[in-house]
Amino acid sequence: MTKERIVVICPGRGTYTRESSGYLNSSSKASSDEIKWMDEQRIVNKLSSLTQLDLEPFKTKIHMSAINASPLIFACSLADYLSIDRNKYEVVAITGNSMGWYTSLALGQAINLKNAYQLINSMSSILKSQVGGQIIYPIVDKSWKIDELKREKVLHKVKEAGAFISIYLGGYLVIAGKQESLDLLLKELPPIDEYPLQLPLHSAFHSPLLSEVRDKAFSLVHKSIFGKPQIPLIDGRGYVWSPFSSNISELYHYTLDHQVTEAYDFTAAIKVAIKEFCPDKLVLLGPGNTLGGSIAQILIQNNWLNIDSKKAFIERQNKIPYLISMGLNIQRNMISL
Amino acid sequence: MSENIFNRARIIDQNFVSLVKKGEFPTFKTNQRLSELNISPNQLISIFESQVISRHIDFKSRELKNKGECFYTIGSSGHEGNAVFGNIFEIHDMAFLHYRSTSFFLERSKKLFGTTPINDIALSFMASSEDPISGGRHKVIGSKELNIPPQTSTIASHLPKAVGTAFSIDRAKDLKISERNLKDDSIILCSFGDASANHASALSAFNTASLVTSQGGHVPIIFICEDNGTGISVPTDPKWIEANFSNRHCIEYIQTDGLDIIDLINKTRLAETNCRINRNPIFLHMKTVRLMGHAGSDIELGYKSLKDIEIEESNDPLLHSAAILIDSKCLTIEDIIALYEISRDQVKHVFEAATRRPKLELSKDVMSSISANYLQKKTPKPVTNKIRKNKFGNEFNRLGIPQNMAKLINYALFDIMLRYSNTLVFGQDVAEKGGVYHVTADLWKQFGARRVFNSPLDETSIIGFALGFAHNGFIPIPEIQFLAYLHNAEDQIRGEAATLPFFSKGQFTNPMVLRVPGLAYQKGFGGHFHNDNSLSILRDIPGLILAVPSNGADAVKMLRTAVREAYENGRIIIFIEPIALYMTKDLHEPKDGRWEFKYPNLKEEISIGEFSTYGSGNVLTILSYGNGLYLSLKAQKEIEKQLNKKIKVIDLMWLSNIDYSRLVKTINPSKNVLIVDECRRTGCHGEGIMTNLLSYSKKPLNILLHAAEDSFISIGKAATATLPSTKSIVKNAMKLVND
Repeated sequence: MTKERIVVICPGRGTYTRESSGYLNSSSKASSDEIKWMDEQRIVNKLSSLTQLDLEPFKTKIHMSAINASPLIFACSLADYLSIDRNKYEVVAITGNSMGWYTSLALGQAINLKNAYQLINSMSSILKSQVGGQIIYPIVDKSWKIDELKREKVLHKVKEAGAFISIYLGGYLVIAGKQESLDLLLKELPPIDEYPLQLPLHSAFHSPLLSEVRDKAFSLVHKSIFGKPQIPLIDGRGYVWSPFSSNISELYHYTLDHQVTEAYDFTAAIKVAIKEFCPDKLVLLGPGNTLGGSIAQILIQNNWLNIDSKKAFIERQNKIPYLISMGLNIQRNMISL
Repeated sequence: MSENIFNRARIIDQNFVSLVKKGEFPTFKTNQRLSELNISPNQLISIFESQVISRHIDFKSRELKNKGECFYTIGSSGHEGNAVFGNIFEIHDMAFLHYRSTSFFLERSKKLFGTTPINDIALSFMASSEDPISGGRHKVIGSKELNIPPQTSTIASHLPKAVGTAFSIDRAKDLKISERNLKDDSIILCSFGDASANHASALSAFNTASLVTSQGGHVPIIFICEDNGTGISVPTDPKWIEANFSNRHCIEYIQTDGLDIIDLINKTRLAETNCRINRNPIFLHMKTVRLMGHAGSDIELGYKSLKDIEIEESNDPLLHSAAILIDSKCLTIEDIIALYEISRDQVKHVFEAATRRPKLELSKDVMSSISANYLQKKTPKPVTNKIRKNKFGNEFNRLGIPQNMAKLINYALFDIMLRYSNTLVFGQDVAEKGGVYHVTADLWKQFGARRVFNSPLDETSIIGFALGFAHNGFIPIPEIQFLAYLHNAEDQIRGEAATLPFFSKGQFTNPMVLRVPGLAYQKGFGGHFHNDNSLSILRDIPGLILAVPSNGADAVKMLRTAVREAYENGRIIIFIEPIALYMTKDLHEPKDGRWEFKYPNLKEEISIGEFSTYGSGNVLTILSYGNGLYLSLKAQKEIEKQLNKKIKVIDLMWLSNIDYSRLVKTINPSKNVLIVDECRRTGCHGEGIMTNLLSYSKKPLNILLHAAEDSFISIGKAATATLPSTKSIVKNAMKLVND
């Protein structure tokens, strides 16, 4: 039987929300060796195990704190990845958003699981306190098409406020900056529904404000943990790391430097995924499916499969979903073992 | 013969897999080891990946062509060594590429993150309207973001502009042109095949690069001759390219083996370093093979023996690269097979998806990029009178005095060069001499040799310079000395300049205003080649703007419009200057001074398509331009006398973009229309004007075309014998009205 070709997308910080409680434990892979190993590590370090944390009532301060959120999300994504029916689906590339890059490195086996877990913990624990913050703001119209004029205006305001683009996230821009810059933008950007919205407990990721993280990361994380991926990885610039030609030293430097201190272009990553790999499906790992909207907006931006509006996307999803969100039970069941 | 013998793609594909698996490789080409060189394993593997993807693109495009889905199968097989060029050279090194350059394209794309080269090539091969470079108009190797202007040339007509672009780089830096778009240390790449190296335009380019360099100019270009030993079906002597190019004056020759990626890297690095530092031309001769014939439809067995074909195939560059990678311990046999098959699968899916993308259907969509025609830049403001006075010198005080056309165009060029710092004037004799007719007099003195210079006596290189300079933000105003000489270089306009916006969706433009003194009626300077009276080669080129002023004041206003259109909208304007009217002062009587005009105010322009009307009668309208207009005005007096009625004479001024609706309205209520065309009857603009008037006019029109005979121009008294004259115009007008 011909396998369906899929590109796997790993979600970033902020995707484990109140609605995600119990998500890890609901996975058939919650008791896999990999998750068990992570739980043991947590206990050794006098932290709640991830499966335990997942069962506890959701508290923003606990579940969204760096020390818990990152490994929890990593564990959920890993469990989802392990549950994909590999007899039916062939993973042709892996990509991710923001912290999802670390997950991508692990799933693509550029870093082994244990080192990936350490990397994620190291990167999230370097900052002892929050540095700056992130706000999110939409730049699409009602049909989810990019409003170029609006985009230009927002980019201009971001520059004026001394802030930075943190993530190009489909129809949204995630903006990073010092709190005074963000306060200015929160005041000046015209309100659209709940936006502009500051992301709780988020630092100014993917901006020069995190240069301290970069510097410390180079002393904490050694190059030797990196290897060539086994599956092509698409990074936050839309660059493809090949299983054959990847330069390990450059991969190490990208991960700890550019990826930390410069804008993460998730829009480019998904564009490359769909156009250069032409998968039969995109598979968004859990927890949650908040990235689904952004992915849809990128499909619309590229008129991919003739999806040119929110309506067209919904219609396509209702027929034969192109985007499988494992955070949604019904779609998860389509692809899981 | 079994059918399989003809399917070389399949045989090459199967051979690669089975020979690699068996570890059977062609004789090792390289005696250099990776460990001894500054080449990383990843660099070699990356190059190999591009080579493999390129090969699968060739296979897949042939397969889809057989299904009627793909529209281009001139492949890159055998030329995959050019991936090395994509790897070594920087994106800011503008590349004018040969059509077998898929590997180059793929490898260069890796330098710009977020690009989708396989998808882009697939859309181009499938003629999809979503193709990012040509929008489905042509299969071209090109990309705006990768700095690869698309080449539609299947010969070597892109070489002259590549030389021009190379020449422009240091010139733009020296002149500090703000519009320049190439970095100061850029070099230019230009690839072509061994057979194309014989082409006249290629020879013009080599000669020009050599000549400019020998005069101390900088032409940082690498001519990359990808020598596969065959031009479609005709073999090239194996020694021909080396013998012909290894000893060219001022062009460094470097030979490399296109089958050996290590040698390619070393020699390409050498070429790159020398060219970038010395800013001089280099001829990089890559010897290689051609696999799978010229194109998908080409049956190589028709002109090559099976044995020869198999010898070529045994030297498959991919096998050579695989051997090097295994020997250097970069990849294992299993890795290579895996890479090969994964690439096959990737290309298959991307290409098959591309077959489902939309195509262009309507003529309006096809034609939407015939000219870029969007506001690229806003015209700079005129300079102050103080600055003008300084440049014009004593002539400034003469601007208010009526002058002939040659002088007025000269003034206009002064103001244009002052206003647009990115304009250049060049051509044969335009500098110190100031042109044969002094139209460019003193420009060299006032604006310097960097902006006003003599070109080689070669029209192809003159227009090649123009195209090249235009690629780097200049607005060239070249001069072709006489209209007849334009024919030497017609393809540089027709095949290259005019097609660029069309094949690049207007993303690339090569704006210019090409001045051409021409047409007949010169007194005492007869003979065909200085009096050529045919504009027909300029009649059918889509997007071209053709201007033919008849007097100095109009010429000034039209020239201003022409430069503005080039600057703002990237347009190409051919500006024909009637030589016989350059020095003309009088119209009806000696010393009446009615053909001398004051220099128009700086704000005055004549829009494209605008025409002017002399007189207001209804019994007859004469349509003309250039010398014909001048003669028609002379005839007007006599016709009106004979008819005892007023008549109208219309100067079309622009022979393209004619607004026929408005023209018909202006002619109304005249029923009689005499078209006076000084050009040869067959193919003259008058033919088209006549047809269009008949189709646009709702009322019947009585039209007569009075054109020159289908003859060349003679000398002496007979010089005007075949041309319309005042007398013949009167005669035809009377006949038209009275019949």
